[in-house]
Amino acid sequence: MVRPDEFQMGLSSRKAIYIQFPQAVPCSYILNMDDCLGNNPIACGKCADACDKRAINYDDRDQIITREVGAVVVAIGLDVYDPTELDEYGYTRFENVISSMEFERLICAGGPTGGHFVRPSDQERPTRIGFIQCVGSRNPKVGRPYCSNICCMNTIKDTLLLADHYPDVANVVFYQDIRAVGKSFEDMFQRSKEAGTRYVRGLPGEIEEDPETRNLVVTVENTTSGKLERHELEMVVLSVGVQPAKDMSRIASMLTLSRTSDGFFMESHPKLKPVDAPTRGVFLAGFCESPKDIKDSVCQAGAAASRAGALLNAGQITIEAITSRVDEVACTRCGVCAKVCPYGAIVWKKGEVASVVEAACAGCGSCSASCQFGAITMRHFTDEQILAQVHAVLAEDPQDKVFAFACNWCSYAGGDMAGISRMTYPASNRVVRTMCSARVSEEMVLEAFRCGAPVVLVSGCHFADCHYINANRQTVQRVHKLWDKLEKAGVRPERLQLEWISAAEGQKFAKVMRQLEELRGTVTRDEIEHAREALKAKPGKRPGVRAAEPVVEAPAAQT
Amino acid sequence: MAETTIETFRCMMCGHEYQEPVVKCEDKERSCPKCRSNSIRHLKKRVTKED
Repeated sequence: MVRPDEFQMGLSSRKAIYIQFPQAVPCSYILNMDDCLGNNPIACGKCADACDKRAINYDDRDQIITREVGAVVVAIGLDVYDPTELDEYGYTRFENVISSMEFERLICAGGPTGGHFVRPSDQERPTRIGFIQCVGSRNPKVGRPYCSNICCMNTIKDTLLLADHYPDVANVVFYQDIRAVGKSFEDMFQRSKEAGTRYVRGLPGEIEEDPETRNLVVTVENTTSGKLERHELEMVVLSVGVQPAKDMSRIASMLTLSRTSDGFFMESHPKLKPVDAPTRGVFLAGFCESPKDIKDSVCQAGAAASRAGALLNAGQITIEAITSRVDEVACTRCGVCAKVCPYGAIVWKKGEVASVVEAACAGCGSCSASCQFGAITMRHFTDEQILAQVHAVLAEDPQDKVFAFACNWCSYAGGDMAGISRMTYPASNRVVRTMCSARVSEEMVLEAFRCGAPVVLVSGCHFADCHYINANRQTVQRVHKLWDKLEKAGVRPERLQLEWISAAEGQKFAKVMRQLEELRGTVTRDEIEHAREALKAKPGKRPGVRAAEPVVEAPAAQT
Repeated sequence: MAETTIETFRCMMCGHEYQEPVVKCEDKERSCPKCRSNSIRHLKKRVTKED
């Protein structure tokens, strides 16, 4: 049984039983049952005959092993971009166009050619080699707008290797930008240039092949000189980027991890918790978090191991006091809270009362806002506390105020940023802070309208920045429901606004407040009064939440 | 390939209505192409019963 060797990028073959790669740990043979002719009944059995240690066990089966652990380090690595979709580079049409991974195998002493660098079409050593950078990186057209971080230095290393092994080889590197950021990287770049490598700023638009010589003609606009250049090369290496591993979605749903728009796992905080996942007890290391080189991966892995070790050795953990709590009497066993919890921190079985795993609860409050029966509440951000703030803010002259709910991490901090940056915006806004925009229930928004708010804003973090994995997606759903509800009640739905404002977007905060003030000016007193009447709370609808109590002014102290 | 449909959205800030391809189950932050507001209402198609 002969199969293409995956480790050698299909440039050599392997058997059904093989060592994956020379540096494999443990360095033992594996029997690939997908390739084996069959073990039940045994079709061939030659490997068992050849093994004098009797190490071949045909009865061995794949097993699912369950372990209870206190921490998980996610280090699932990466996939390499497949350049077959980029037809202009002819990767599938021309034999002498190879990827940087294939180049790596061809020049490696342990590779299929034993380190003798030859081109695939005629097994001759090429003397003119071109490297094309950013293949599958920094390219929004192929869905990969990010820099892969490692390709520039990998190419520089390759050109130095070639210059060292074969001084007669002429290398040309086609690039957009060379990103040599790191210790001694700039020095390597300079050495590569001194060794004779030519760097041409500009990415080729097309590659053609000479059918006789199988040489490749690369046409490129040199953006430094502004001239169109044609290079005849014997081999072209596509410096391919990297992409998130294909199993990331499965791991993300298993561990309730969130992902960035690029598809990599999102850390809890980019500066303060760069190796912690938003889910407590889960740590990230290496490429799964973002593209990085070996040194950074090793640093991150060490940090993740230390964080995990600290957690396991602590004996006890400290959690924030703002976790959720279930009122077992009021709970109707519907399970909505468990469905909306981004952390899977609510345990619920059909027909049973929900319960909160406090160590896993991060305190977003989305469960509390989703419960129609007021049976689950968030400590220190209870419905009563937030509604009391709504009442207090709108107790006097509500028609002159723009009422805003802002999430603690981004929008509220965006307001702070606007303030400390001395940006001017109307003084009519009144902000009530919640931990997450998902904590803002329908009832809170409606109560603000009942209290006479002309305009209500719900604001939270941008999708990629949500501090509670993806809790703010529930905010979107809730606001949509509210728009429908307001429209049905004859209230202008535009009076409820939704904005994503990050902590750095002070300018956006100020702009939104100016827009809302303009909107407030268009809301008439009649509209406010109509909303008060039309949105009146139905008694007994939400038994856990006490009906809004009228604001009673404290009697003036007698003198 | 995930199913893609053309959906209609309305900006609740400036009133701009526009259509955009939507991939089923996509997780995308929306903003108005005209005023950049995030108050984007997804106008669902009304289903009418045919006799």
